[in-house]
Amino acid sequence: MKGLRVALPGGTLFDAACSLLNAAGIARLDPARFDRELSVRDGDDTYVKVRPTDVPVYVEMGGCECGIVGKDVLWESSRECYELADLGFGQCRLVLAAPRDSALAQGTWPQSLRVATKYPESARRFFAARSLNVVVIRLHGSVELAPLTGLADCVLDITATGRTLAANNLVEIVEAGASTARFIANHAALKTRNETVAAIAVALRRAAAERLTKGAA
Amino acid sequence: MTGLDALPPGASVRRRADGFSDYLVGPAARRRILTDRFIETFEAWGYGFMVTPLIEPLDTIAAGVGGAQQSALFRFMDSDGALLALVGERTVSVARVVATQLQEGPFPLRLCYAGSVLRNQAPNGGRRRESLQAGCELIGAGGLAADAECIALAAAALERGGMEHIQVDVGHADFIPGLLDSAGLDPDAREEVLAALARRDLVAVESALEGTDAADAERRLLLAFPTLRGGREILDTAAGGLRGERPHRALQELAQLWDLLDAHAITDRVHLDLGAVRDWGYYTGPTFEVFSDDSGFALGSGGRYDTLLSRFGTALPATGFVLHVDRCHDSIARRAGSVTGSDAVHVSWENDAYDDALELARSLRNRGVACVCDLDADGDGVVRVTASGVRWSHRGRDEHGTVDAAVTALVSRPA
Repeated sequence: MKGLRVALPGGTLFDAACSLLNAAGIARLDPARFDRELSVRDGDDTYVKVRPTDVPVYVEMGGCECGIVGKDVLWESSRECYELADLGFGQCRLVLAAPRDSALAQGTWPQSLRVATKYPESARRFFAARSLNVVVIRLHGSVELAPLTGLADCVLDITATGRTLAANNLVEIVEAGASTARFIANHAALKTRNETVAAIAVALRRAAAERLTKGAA
Repeated sequence: MTGLDALPPGASVRRRADGFSDYLVGPAARRRILTDRFIETFEAWGYGFMVTPLIEPLDTIAAGVGGAQQSALFRFMDSDGALLALVGERTVSVARVVATQLQEGPFPLRLCYAGSVLRNQAPNGGRRRESLQAGCELIGAGGLAADAECIALAAAALERGGMEHIQVDVGHADFIPGLLDSAGLDPDAREEVLAALARRDLVAVESALEGTDAADAERRLLLAFPTLRGGREILDTAAGGLRGERPHRALQELAQLWDLLDAHAITDRVHLDLGAVRDWGYYTGPTFEVFSDDSGFALGSGGRYDTLLSRFGTALPATGFVLHVDRCHDSIARRAGSVTGSDAVHVSWENDAYDDALELARSLRNRGVACVCDLDADGDGVVRVTASGVRWSHRGRDEHGTVDAAVTALVSRPA
């Protein structure tokens, strides 16, 4: 049987993804190797390091049988993948935040709202349930600047510690969702390589649970 | 080459709409041959070929498919203001035809079709917006033998089309909803779990089950979801501890279906898959998907849909399936050495031998040999017609003779 192709997210989740795969006994990956090559062989399997937003694309289209990616990326993606396990690491939250002195921060929701975000699809779904007149402004970075410059009334953004928000005089209004890293699989691969893929999901879950207990101890 | 800053004049005229494909000579022929093989197989099993329109009123489509599928359709307005759509699948059209024109039978009715379907997906996603589907519908037969026939036929057609190592996953649309019923979940939790399953988000299934009072056996099955697959033995494993009658009935049907598939001699390619996620609003009984080991997408899928025809005024049980010709074609194209190009015999001629060359070409074509005749004299075809006769090469030897002799030799040439 040929090996698996696994998509790993570059960026903040990368090292933890490698070490969880190692801890689960699935792979023996040296994250530093990916600085020199984007595709690394480990036994019969191939690991590729791609942009986090590209992980669901590789997995849905069958370029990789499975992958690891943050839930925040899956919210934003319209790709159909199986989400098999919560890996626990990479915790962050998607929150709506507004300037400390704004009416919104005082608990008053205005009739219309301009929201700056890097997550337009999540914003669309979050506000779909609320009867507000919302204009979503898609930015590609530093969304905290949007309220400061008057471009937007508030931001919908990912925060891990809340420090960036606080540094820009923004306060959290409401949480839209909590995210962690997930193990995802291609639809056909889950059927045709079921035992392999399911075994990885089980091993990753166990390793993630162990890591969590150790972290708590 | 011209850069993005300076597109050549008329560049917009040369565009092709995103998500659509041109198929040039080789791929187009392979795709057509593949479709022909599917249809030939369907006809060999007694399914009559029929054609439905590329456009249906949106109301007709809405009677059959759910909101998510409707919103992915190309829609436009008819001259009277009514909404029309390009079809995104063809089962609903076949159901409409049967319920309105073939409602007198004789049943069971076996029908097949092939045609384009369109989905207005976001461009640049690498997904096709137009694709070719070939399918069968077996209408007016409520028994499991009909489901088994469809599964066996789908497998036979794919194999006839050259798909290798196919695997059929057979599930039951009523198993998971039935499981949720017998788990004693409240309606909200039930909806949450179903929605999470439909999104294929097993993490959410787990968290939706937490804090509910789902019974142990049901909870265990729902959490083991992706691994609820195997042969007939998994049915017994799954049945243990289940209280509700509904999931038991689904398991019994799958057991009977397995025995029927065994009679069709295809259980070596079948897995029972209790965790199959399908459109629960549409399917009412056994469902299936067909995979090969070299495609990330299902090559075919189908199942029982006993409520669809009643929405068009004629209540009839029905089962059927669709094969995705383009995904099959991708799968074939990825494998080396499977190219089947056309190899028409090239006929050249000299001076005033054009009449003879055309006569030779006519004779060959009448005997089923494809041939191309030059439009101008003195070409370099493998067959050359001159005033004094025909020269051709046959099995590596140069030969010479009359038009009739050439026809006889070329008709019998090895493929």
